Amino acid sequence: MNAAFLVSARRELAFLQGSFWDLALISWLPLALLAAIAIQISSGVMRDLPVAVVDEDGGGIARELVRRLEVAPGLRVAARPVSMLEAEHVVRSNAAYAVILIPQGLERAVLRGETGQVSVFYNASYSTPSGSILREVSAVVQGQARVLATQQTAAIIGPARVRAAPIAVQSRILYNPQASYELQLVALIHPALLHLLFMIAVVSALGRELRDGTIGTWLAGSRREAIAAIAGKLVPYLAVFMLWAALATTYLVGLRGWPVAGSVVMLMAGYLAMYLAYAGMAVLIVGLTLSMGQALSMTALYAGASFAFAGAIFPIESSSAFARLWSALLPYTTFARLVAEQWMIGAPVAMSAKLLAILCGFLAFGLCIGLPRLLAASSNPAVWGRR
Amino acid sequence: MIGRAFLGTLRAVFTDRSAFMLIVVSTILYSFFYPSAYSGEVATRIPVAVVDLDNSGASRSLVHKLSALQQVDLAERLSSPMQAQSWLQTRGAGAIVIIPEGFERRILNGAQGIVSIYGNGAYLLRSSTALAGVGSALAAIGGEAAVDQAMAQGAPANPALSLVQRPLFNTREGYGSTVFPGVGFLIIYQTLLMGLAMLAGTMRDGGGRLHFSAHSLVGVALAFFVIGWADIAYYAGFVFWFQDYPRAAASPATLLAAGSLFVGATVAAALALASFFRTRERPLQLLMGTSLVIFFLAGLSWPAEETPTWLVMLARLLPTTPGIHLMVGVNQMGASLIDQWVEVINLAMLVILYGIVAWWRLTGLDVRRQRIFSAPVPSGSQ
Repeated sequence: MNAAFLVSARRELAFLQGSFWDLALISWLPLALLAAIAIQISSGVMRDLPVAVVDEDGGGIARELVRRLEVAPGLRVAARPVSMLEAEHVVRSNAAYAVILIPQGLERAVLRGETGQVSVFYNASYSTPSGSILREVSAVVQGQARVLATQQTAAIIGPARVRAAPIAVQSRILYNPQASYELQLVALIHPALLHLLFMIAVVSALGRELRDGTIGTWLAGSRREAIAAIAGKLVPYLAVFMLWAALATTYLVGLRGWPVAGSVVMLMAGYLAMYLAYAGMAVLIVGLTLSMGQALSMTALYAGASFAFAGAIFPIESSSAFARLWSALLPYTTFARLVAEQWMIGAPVAMSAKLLAILCGFLAFGLCIGLPRLLAASSNPAVWGRR
Repeated sequence: MIGRAFLGTLRAVFTDRSAFMLIVVSTILYSFFYPSAYSGEVATRIPVAVVDLDNSGASRSLVHKLSALQQVDLAERLSSPMQAQSWLQTRGAGAIVIIPEGFERRILNGAQGIVSIYGNGAYLLRSSTALAGVGSALAAIGGEAAVDQAMAQGAPANPALSLVQRPLFNTREGYGSTVFPGVGFLIIYQTLLMGLAMLAGTMRDGGGRLHFSAHSLVGVALAFFVIGWADIAYYAGFVFWFQDYPRAAASPATLLAAGSLFVGATVAAALALASFFRTRERPLQLLMGTSLVIFFLAGLSWPAEETPTWLVMLARLLPTTPGIHLMVGVNQMGASLIDQWVEVINLAMLVILYGIVAWWRLTGLDVRRQRIFSAPVPSGSQ
C-alpha cells in the first residue's frame, strides 16, 4: 500500500516536470496572482482620492473649508469647476469620485448663527473610494464646525453659553484597529485564489487519467492500492499549496506586519482542512462527470464564485435562500470564518475547532460518493477518453 | 469565404457541447447566480449589544431610544464589556455600545457624556457604513436623552456647518448594482476568451499551428463579435432590467459604440491568446483562476489611485480594465464617449494591438506554412 502511494506520487511529480503548463498552474501562476493582489492592495488605507470642489460662496469660511479639504490626507482636490454642470462632467470622466458643493450664502448663514449646509455628491458606482471620501469630508466639516462654534457663536451669544453637545460618541474598530483594507481583503482573497487553483489542479490531475485512458494502468491492483495511489497523486499538490498558504501568510504577518491574533497553527490547519475539503469535492466532481473538460467547467461554477458567496464581504445572511444554501455548501465560507476568528479576532481555539470538523465533513462526503465511481471507471475503458 | 467561416464558427459553438455550455449556458446561468450573492441589503441595520454600566435615568433613556433607532437591531443587553466582546466574536458583523459609569453625572455637571461604539474589524467592509450610521444617530438622540441638562443650562448652540450626502448615478446603492455591472462584463470577457481558446485548442489537438485565410479569420472574428454583442444585449438589456440595476443612462449611439469597442477588444484578445493553446482543456485550467484578480485589477472595487502606477498600466492591457470603466460609465453614469476618452482610446489601442497579434499568429504571416483551413470546423469528436 505504501509502495502504491509512493509510486503514484513519484509518477505525478515526473509528469509535472515534463509538462510546462501543468507545472505553471501550481508554480508561477499562483505566484503571479497572489502578488498582483498583494501589490494592488498594499496601500491598505486610501489616500489622496480625487474630489472636485464647487465654491459658489467664495467667502472666508468657504476658502477655509477648501484649505482643510486640501490638507486632509484622504483627499486631493483635483478640480475646481465653476458650476455643478461642469463638475458632473468631471465625475463622469472618472477624474473625481465626488463633488463638494459650497452653496452661495454659506458665510451669511453661519454669521447669523444658522447652520450652513455643505453638500457632497458622490459617485455611488464606485462605492469603496466614495465611502472613504464621505468619512473624510464629514470629519473635515465637523472639525471646522467645532472651530466656528467657538469663534463665531461666541462672538454673537457670548462665550459663557457656548458648549459642546451633551453626548459625544467615540467609535472604535476592534480586531482591525487601523481599519486596514489590506488585512481584510488580502487575507481573504489569497485563500480564495489558492483554493480555486488547488481544485483546478486536482481535478485536472484526476481527469487527465480518464481523458488519456491511463487510469486503468494507474489504478491497477487491489482496491486498497488504488486508494493509496489516489492519495499519492494528490499529496504533491497538497504540499505545494500548503507552501503557498505559508508564503501568503508570512507575507502579511512578517513583511506587512498584520499579526495573527489567534493561533497560527489553527490557521494553517484550516488551510489544510480547506484543501482536503476541495480535494474531496474534486474526487466527487470527477467521479460524477468522468470527463476532464466537464469536471473543469463544474469546478468553475462551484469554486469560481466563492469570494462573492462567503459572506465575509457581502451580507449573505440577508440574501435569498438559494444564496444562503450555496454559501453553506462552499468550504471557503467556513474557512473565511476561521480567518476572522483566528487571524483577526483571536477567538479561543476550541471555538474554531468545529470549523475544521465541518471542512473534514466535505472531504468525507466527496470521497464516499466520488471514490467508488472513480474506482469503477478505472476498469471500464468505455468511459475513457471523453472530451 | 467570410460567410462560410462565420457560419462554421457559429455551428462549432452550438455543436461542441463543452463550448456551448461555456459560451451560452454559463453566461445565462451566471446572470442569475451572481446577483443572488449580492442580493443582501446594504448593512444599514446592524445587530447591537448594549452594556449599560451607569444604570441611571439618562443611560436607561438612551438605551430605550437606541432600541427604537432604524439603524439598530438591539440584540442583547449585557452586563459587562467582557461579555459583550465574546458576543461580538460569535456575532460577526455587529457592534457593541458601552455607556460608561458616571455618564449621567457628567451630563448634569455640564460636561459631555461619552458613549463608546465598538465595531467588528474582522468584517470591516460590511460594518463600516452601519457604524457611521449608528454613530450619528446616537449623537442625535443623545441630545434628546440629555434634555434635563439642556433645561438646566440652556439649549446647546446650532452646529455652524452640516453636511448633506447625496449619491450620484447608482442611487439605490445596493451591493448588486455596485458590483454586478462590473462582474457581468468580466463574465462576458472570460466566457468568450475561454470558449474561443477551447475551440482553437480542440482544432489543434494533434495538429500543428492553426492557419486561417484572411477571409476565414474575419469570419471567425465576426461570429464571436456577434456572440459578444448578444451577451451585452442580454446583460445590459435584460439582466440589468430584471435586477433593476441602473442602466442605459447614455444615448443609444453611445451605448452601441461603447459596447462594440469592448466586444471588439475582447474578441481580438481572445483570438490572439487562443492561438497559443494546443489542447482543449488547457484554457479552462489556466484562465479560470484569474477572474478574481482581473476583477480587482479593473479598479471598480479598489480604486486605481490607490494601486501602484505600473500595475495600473499593466492592468490596462486587459480589455476588462478600460471595458468595465467604460461600460459602467455609459450604463450607470450616463457618460459620453468624450467624458470617457481615456477608456475609448485604451480599448481602440487594444483592438489594434491584439488584432495584429491574432493576424500575425493565425494567418501564418510568421511562418511560411501553407496548411490553410478553409473553415474552422472543430475536430472535437476525434
